[in-house]
Amino acid sequence: MATINVEGVTKSFNGKTAVRDVDLEVADGQFMIIVGPSGCGKTTTLRMLAGFEKPTRGNVRIGGKVMNDVPPKDRDIAMVFQNYALLPHLTVAKNLSFGMRIRREPRKTIEREVAAIAEMLGIGPLLDRKPAQLSGGERQRVALGRALLRKPQAFLLDEPLSNLDAALRAQMRFELKRIHEKFPVTTVYVTHDQVEAMTMADQIALMDQGRLQQVAPPERLYSEPSNAFVAGFIGSPRINLIPATVLRGEGGAMLSCLSCRIPVNGDLGSVLERMDGDAVTVGLRPEEIQPCPAGANGRPAVQGVVELIEPLGSETHVSVRVGTEILTCRFPPRSGLEAGATITVQFDPQQMKVFDAASGMRLG
Amino acid sequence: MTPASVPDPPEAARGRAGRRLLAPRASREPGSPRLAVTVIMAILGLAFLLPLVWLILAAFNPHATSNLAAPAFSLANFHAAFQAGAGRAIANSLYLAGVSTIIATVVSTLAGYVLSRHYVPAKGPLLVGIIFLTGLPVTLLLIPIYQMFVKINWLNSPFYTSLVLAATGVPFAIWLLKNFIDQVPRDFEEAAAAEGSGQFQILLRVVIPLITPGILVSAILTFINSWGAFLVPLVLDSNPNDAPGAVGIYEFITANGQVQFGPLAAYGILFSVPVIIMYVISSRWLNGSFSFAGGVKG
Repeated sequence: MATINVEGVTKSFNGKTAVRDVDLEVADGQFMIIVGPSGCGKTTTLRMLAGFEKPTRGNVRIGGKVMNDVPPKDRDIAMVFQNYALLPHLTVAKNLSFGMRIRREPRKTIEREVAAIAEMLGIGPLLDRKPAQLSGGERQRVALGRALLRKPQAFLLDEPLSNLDAALRAQMRFELKRIHEKFPVTTVYVTHDQVEAMTMADQIALMDQGRLQQVAPPERLYSEPSNAFVAGFIGSPRINLIPATVLRGEGGAMLSCLSCRIPVNGDLGSVLERMDGDAVTVGLRPEEIQPCPAGANGRPAVQGVVELIEPLGSETHVSVRVGTEILTCRFPPRSGLEAGATITVQFDPQQMKVFDAASGMRLG
Repeated sequence: MTPASVPDPPEAARGRAGRRLLAPRASREPGSPRLAVTVIMAILGLAFLLPLVWLILAAFNPHATSNLAAPAFSLANFHAAFQAGAGRAIANSLYLAGVSTIIATVVSTLAGYVLSRHYVPAKGPLLVGIIFLTGLPVTLLLIPIYQMFVKINWLNSPFYTSLVLAATGVPFAIWLLKNFIDQVPRDFEEAAAAEGSGQFQILLRVVIPLITPGILVSAILTFINSWGAFLVPLVLDSNPNDAPGAVGIYEFITANGQVQFGPLAAYGILFSVPVIIMYVISSRWLNGSFSFAGGVKG
C-alpha cells in the first residue's frame, strides 16, 4: 500500500489544458473518489497516475517516489477500465491470471489464487468462458478480479460501473465497498455519478474544468461546500441557488431575497456587513425548506404556488414558484398538495449557504 | 438486442402484380439491359473458365494440343513434368515464397505496430510514401538491385533473392497490418501494461492474437505474390537448380523449340496445388473470426 501525491500537476493537449495545477493527496489505504462533470479532467488525472499520460508540469508520486517517467508496468498499480478491457481471445481464467503469467508465477499458485478470487466474486462457474459470453456485470467482476490478483500498491478505477444498469450498479457499489474493507488498498476511483461518490468514498475530490474545487469527506462536501459549483453538483435534488442582495441595517447584515429580508448573524453576518449592496447567491437544500403550517416559528417564511409535484413514495419533491424563483423542496410523503395550490414554506437561516455572486466562493 | 424485423410488404404487393411492382424495372422489358448484362457476364465467365477447362483436360491428355479436346485420362503428363524438374521447381518456389513471407510478415507487423501506436516524425508523409511504394513496379528496381547484388556478391542465392521478394511485399503488408492494428482498442494494451506487460509482451500476447486474420491475409497475399515471381528470380539467380516454378514453366515452354502442351498443363496444375491448399486452409481462419466481442463495451 502507498500514499499517492499529485503535486501541482498540469496537463495540456495541443494547447488545450485538461488539468490545471492539481494538488491532491491520497492517504495510505484511503478510498478517494474523483468526481465531476464530463470533461472536467478526472480521467486525465487518473491516467497520469497510471502512467498512460505524462504531466506537462508537476509531479506524480506513488509511495513517495516520483513516477513521471516510470512506465505503467513498473508502477505496481492495477487499473479497472470503464470498458472492462478484457482480452477477448482469452478465457476468464486466463484473463484473471494474465498478470500472474507475465510475472511467471508458479502454475499452482496461479490456479489457487484464481480459484479463490473467482469464488469471492461469484464468477467460479465462468472460468472457461470467453468475455463475449458474459453479461456486463460478470465482465466487470472479471476486470475487478484481475486487478485484485495484481496485489498492487494502488487501485485505479475509471468509471467501472458506468456501463451497468441501475440495479446492478447499486449491487456493485456495495461489493466494491466490501472488497475495499477486505483489501484496504489505496484506491483512486473516478466517476461522474455523485451517488457513487457519496456512498463509497472516504474522501471526495470534486473537479470542474480541470481544477480541483474541493477535497473533503462526503458529509462535509454536502454540508460545507466551498463554492456554488460544489453545492450545486453534490446533492439530489439539486440545491436551490437564489440570487440575493446584501443589505446593512441597524441590527446588522440582512439578505434580501425571495421577497423577504433575512437577518444574518454570526461569522457570516460579520462578513456580509462589509458587503452592503453586493450581489450574493443563497443556497438552500431542498430538505431545508419545509411547509409552514401555522406561524413561522421565528423563521423566514415565504408564500408561493405549487408548480410541480413528484411523489417518490418515501418522499415528495415539490417545485414551488416564489416570485420569479422556483424552489425545489423535499417534503414528507403524502403531502396532500395539488398543483396550483398556494403554500407557505419556511427555512432556517442558519442552514443557508451564501456564495459570492461573482466568484462563487462561499462566504462566512 | 436483435434488430427489428423488416415488415412484410403489403398483401397486394406480394401477389403476381406485386412481384411485377417490386421487380427491377429492367427485367420487365424484352431485350432489357439486364439480359445484356447477363450475356456479357456469361461471355466473361467463359473467357475465364475455358482456359481452366483446357488446363485440366490437357493435363490428363497424353496427346494434348492447344485446342480443347475430348476428355482422356492419363498421368503420363504429370510423370513427364516431374522428369523435367517440376518437383525441384515447386520446392524452390516454396522456399522463396516461404522465406519471403516470413520475413515480410514479421517486418510489416513490427512496422505496422509502430506506425499505429507510436509517435513517428512525419508519419503522414511516410504512410503516403508507403502507399506509393505499393504501386511501384519491381522492374524499375531490378537493374539497380542487380548491380548492388553484384557488388556485394549476393547473386545466385535463393535466400537473398527471397529478401528482394520480401521487400516488394512489405509496403502493402505494412499498410494492411497498420489498418488492422488501428482497429484494436488501446484499452487492451493499457490493461496489459497495467498488468506489468512490456511493449514486446503486449505485441505478442495482446495485439498479434487479435490481428491474426490480418496477418494471415497479409501472409497469403505476400506468399502468392512471391509464389508467382518470375522476373526477380530470373534476373538475380541464374542457377538452373534454383529456378522456381514460374521460371521453370518458362523454360518448359521453349524446351526443344516446341511447346509440350500436355506436360505444360500438368506442370501448371502441380504449380497451383500448394496455393489452392493454402486458400482452403486459411479460409477457415478468415470466416468471421475478426471480432473483439466481449473485450470492450459496445
